[in-house]
Amino acid sequence: MSAFFSGLLHPLVIPAHLLALLALGLLIGRQRATLPPCVGFVTALAAGLTGIALAIAETAALDVLLAATALAGVLLALARPLPTLLSTALAAVMGIALGLDSPPEAISLAAANATLVGTGLGACLVLVLVAAAARCLTRGLQRIGMRIVGSWFAASAILVLALRFARGLMF
Amino acid sequence: MNHRRHPIALAATSLLLALACTPAAAHTGSMRGGFLGGFAHPLFGPDHVVAMVAVGLWGAFLGPPAIWLLPIVFPLVMAFGGVIGILGVPLPGVEIGIALSAIVLGLMVLLAAKPPLAVAAALVGAFAIFHGYAHGAELPPGADAVAYSVGFVVATGLLHLTGIAFGQLARWPAGRIAVRAAGGVIAFAGVAFLAAAR
Repeated sequence: MSAFFSGLLHPLVIPAHLLALLALGLLIGRQRATLPPCVGFVTALAAGLTGIALAIAETAALDVLLAATALAGVLLALARPLPTLLSTALAAVMGIALGLDSPPEAISLAAANATLVGTGLGACLVLVLVAAAARCLTRGLQRIGMRIVGSWFAASAILVLALRFARGLMF
Repeated sequence: MNHRRHPIALAATSLLLALACTPAAAHTGSMRGGFLGGFAHPLFGPDHVVAMVAVGLWGAFLGPPAIWLLPIVFPLVMAFGGVIGILGVPLPGVEIGIALSAIVLGLMVLLAAKPPLAVAAALVGAFAIFHGYAHGAELPPGADAVAYSVGFVVATGLLHLTGIAFGQLARWPAGRIAVRAAGGVIAFAGVAFLAAAR
């Protein structure tokens, strides 16, 4: 059971994952159609976690996730309505990247699987909660605040990508 | 409590609970240590602090849409400057550029200058490159990259918001004088920074 809860909290305590979920959640919450990107995210996340469960080779998931977070932040700052296809594609990319960047630190197979299930559930919960919160923020100042926060997300993600590149950590 | 607020309260509670726990994970990121380091970094540079506050003050003085556009432009362009600094691309006159940002932005507030929005954004963006470069070049090598960057950007944004909050005084005649005087103080401080940088 502790493995499951460990996985549940995983997306919340890994800064890059939390940043990505907040950016994507706020972006989805600002769109007219929220269901397709949410479904895209959940499906892709499940695929990514399955990939990890099948022990696929190391990928550039974190770099892709950070790049997508930067894009989501910029789109949030621009505050323009997105085509559903674009928001769904972005959510799917972030979902699969987040899943592939969540390898569990478990000794047994059962514990590893429980951690992965927890991670998936935790990420989906955070995304849905943030998107729901974003939908409630409809006043002028609240919308402006989200645009400013979007620029912060983008700036943070861009800086991290540069740091990873400079330190030779990029895949 | 209004039922429409429930998702926000739930999300905030979840985040707080999660940050209070330490689950096993394959990553080495630390939201607390790295974040605090990055958050403190811009706050301990008086030349950065006055320029950030000046951006907020000027935005408040210019009114909408500059009041929110300038704090959006600044971090995005600052990140570009940060990338240049992190990659070690040479940029001459960084300290002079930072001092000039305090002088110019302070003077804009002092003189209650209201240029076109594009000019204001370009000016703020140009100075943001110098601030981003300095911060990028000074990043400690062992810092947790994501948390550090988030803390750094959030601190910068909060300094803007401080300027915006103070700038709200400009709604009243006496407050307008106080805001313009604050611009003068920032410009004066910029002259001191420039003298120190040369």
